[in-house]
Amino acid sequence: MHTLLIILPILFAGIILVNKTATKNLVAIFFVAVLALASLVSYFSFESPYVADLPHFSHSLFIFVDIVLLLYFLVQGIVKTHSVVTLLSLAQLVLYGVLLSLSQTISSSDILIDKLSIMMYLIINMVGGIIIIYSLKYIQSEELSEFKKRSFIALEFFFLAVMNFLVSTNNIEIFFMLFEFTTLCSYLLIGYRSDAIATSNALKALWMNQIGGVVILLALILSSLHYDTIHFDLLIANIEDIYLIPIALLGVAAFVKGASIPFESWLLGAMVAPTPVSAMLHSATMVKIAPFLMLKLAPAMSEFVSLSITLFGTFVFFTASLMALSKDYFKEILGLSTIALLALMMAMASIGTAEAIEACLVLMVFHAISKALLFLQAGILEKSFHLKYMKDIDGLIDKSPLVVFFIVIGFASLTLPPFGAFIAKFMAIESISELIALNPLYAISLLFIALGSVFLTLLYFKVLTKLFAKDIDTKESSKIIISKYYSYTSFALVALLVLGIFVSYKMQLLNSFEIFIPTLLILTTLILFASTFFKKAHRVKEYYCGEKERLSVNMYYFNIPESFIKTVHLVSVLFLIVLVLGVLL
Amino acid sequence: MTQVLLIILAPIIGGLLYGFERKLRARMQNRVGPPLLQPFYDTLKLMDKQAFLINPYHSILGIMHFFTLWVVVAFVILEENLLYIVFLHLLSAIFLILAGFSVRSIFSHIGANRELLSIIAYEPILILVAVGFFMSVGSFEIATIRENSSQLLSMFLLFLSFLLIIPVKLKKSPFDAVEAHQEIVGGVEIEFSGIFYEFLYMAKWLEYIFIFLLLSLFAGDNIALAISLFISVFLVLNLVDNATARIKMAHLIKIVLTLGLSLGLLNLIGLSYV
Repeated sequence: MHTLLIILPILFAGIILVNKTATKNLVAIFFVAVLALASLVSYFSFESPYVADLPHFSHSLFIFVDIVLLLYFLVQGIVKTHSVVTLLSLAQLVLYGVLLSLSQTISSSDILIDKLSIMMYLIINMVGGIIIIYSLKYIQSEELSEFKKRSFIALEFFFLAVMNFLVSTNNIEIFFMLFEFTTLCSYLLIGYRSDAIATSNALKALWMNQIGGVVILLALILSSLHYDTIHFDLLIANIEDIYLIPIALLGVAAFVKGASIPFESWLLGAMVAPTPVSAMLHSATMVKIAPFLMLKLAPAMSEFVSLSITLFGTFVFFTASLMALSKDYFKEILGLSTIALLALMMAMASIGTAEAIEACLVLMVFHAISKALLFLQAGILEKSFHLKYMKDIDGLIDKSPLVVFFIVIGFASLTLPPFGAFIAKFMAIESISELIALNPLYAISLLFIALGSVFLTLLYFKVLTKLFAKDIDTKESSKIIISKYYSYTSFALVALLVLGIFVSYKMQLLNSFEIFIPTLLILTTLILFASTFFKKAHRVKEYYCGEKERLSVNMYYFNIPESFIKTVHLVSVLFLIVLVLGVLL
Repeated sequence: MTQVLLIILAPIIGGLLYGFERKLRARMQNRVGPPLLQPFYDTLKLMDKQAFLINPYHSILGIMHFFTLWVVVAFVILEENLLYIVFLHLLSAIFLILAGFSVRSIFSHIGANRELLSIIAYEPILILVAVGFFMSVGSFEIATIRENSSQLLSMFLLFLSFLLIIPVKLKKSPFDAVEAHQEIVGGVEIEFSGIFYEFLYMAKWLEYIFIFLLLSLFAGDNIALAISLFISVFLVLNLVDNATARIKMAHLIKIVLTLGLSLGLLNLIGLSYV
């Protein structure tokens, strides 16, 4: 099944690229259904971890592809006259050459499909698939050539293939190649509109992610020299507490992919791309590599590494939430909250206790669904209502209650019971609490989580300020109907969220009471909204204290000084240096 | 059975408490004050009034705020997970905030904004208190907390920071900027009237029950201590309310967060060495 998950999307991408018939959308929807089904089958038929080796010639092929890829980056650096990209590409080529000159005697299987992989399949193919269906409509409204529109969809399918492969590999060298492929995909997708700002942001994403590539190569070389292996399972099994440097370096790579501060600007820059790209990067693909990698590495972490990653992760969670409070651009708000939640996931993964890992997984799944839902709404706001900034979204509820419903559910599902992301946050606090008794430094992490989660709540619900303001019941309707592609995909994600409540009930993450009651409360509210009008009550206007002028309040912002952000960047860089040096010493 | 009875009676007990408080405050100011049952007379009057509303969403959200808060109180009485209750309480606050935002009234918006900001002040401290209990008795379950002896001494700093947020939650001076009667005409409350205001009014009583039930957790299984804690905090709260002036929202957050969080953090670190 996993082979299908890797090969089929590539095949689909090819078909979509050449398919010009009128039914091309239907074909794409069919492909998505196939992938979703395949991921479900692989999830439910999972019994024990599956291992396999790839044929020998494929390794030569991978080396060839890798070199071509790095050369492509190099050419991009030279053509676009971007010296950092050029230098990093050269560095990677040299390091890759060094790596190829080394040979390892202990070898393990190339493919390892465990429970983590099948979970990732679900996220990648279900959520990613829904985003692809959404982008079928979205890309039509872009001013691009027909070929570019088709290749956009094809590229998305290809991205899914890369991600499916990435979560199934056990060989760090193959992992590196796929890591670079995701970098390539994001580079191409972010630069898709090929205007000046898109190009510069795409290059930024490229060079930042190349740093990740460089540290992975360093980790590979060191692991090969010291442990004589380039496989995840062997590296973790043989790990010695005095030589953790490969683990620390891979951890840094995770922070790069997860767009943690100080690398956050590449993900924020991605919002110049068509919105489905952001939805893809933020939910189903790319950034999810970060917690995935951390989960893989967690068993090999020493107390020092685990503690510093937890401290750093929760620190980023806190600062990114705080920074988001000063933003007005809808996608930027969403972006910073992604960065915050990813950092929390990585912190949880690095703690490595059973409950923390479960918290990380739950958060990964539900964050993917909620963020996809919210980004789809960001796209709808742009395309159907021509809105980008929160301050302009005044009284959207009169125009489209449906979109408001989606946005409210999206935000609520990230903070409130009974939704999955809430459960994860709850479990995160529980697992940190258990650790404080062992090491008081975890109390600081707890403080960061407590504050960060409150800031995120504040952020989400302050965004609703403008959204919700409704005039006195007006009879005439100014409603705008959104495309079925948009509404059905959003409904599909809401359905996944509801399904998630059911699954968390089945898994007994909380007791049935704790899940059932808030569900009932929220459901009641929605039913009342749809059914109750208080016909007998008299309608009145708002109280204005006798003022003749109509006043309105704007949203408030937190003014976060530039110096604060600089300090945060400095602290984060220091943190990462301490992490790597601390492991060396 | 007693639990069910308590849950059903919670708003009424809250109403009595509220009535008693008005009496007490009046005595402190050398006034006679309203009768003890005044809150219930108010209720009867409000129910009799003609219903006015601005839009149905606004009224529904207000009603849901009341019911959610009632559920929160029920969870405390049923001795559920404390950390969970803190977050469920957040849901009730969110309903109120959304209600405030759902009308185009400047006072309602300012009130809802302040309500949102006050969450910054009290939510982290409630979380720290919950974690403090977890570290002391080994569980978030209120049932376990009540079975153990009083944690007042080992969690004294957390107790102080909890005291700090009581006026924020109950909208008492000096931390009553959220409601701020004269200044923003009651904030979120302003656009509710008649029967719809009744729900908000009763939600206020439930907030009393909620806070004092949490306070009683510090006494553990010692009922005498719980009662004396309640009486002394109730007195001090009203004394402070009478004696102090309202401070700005920004100051409120600054004071509560810096003082409350550092006390809480110190306490947690201390607990980890015990």
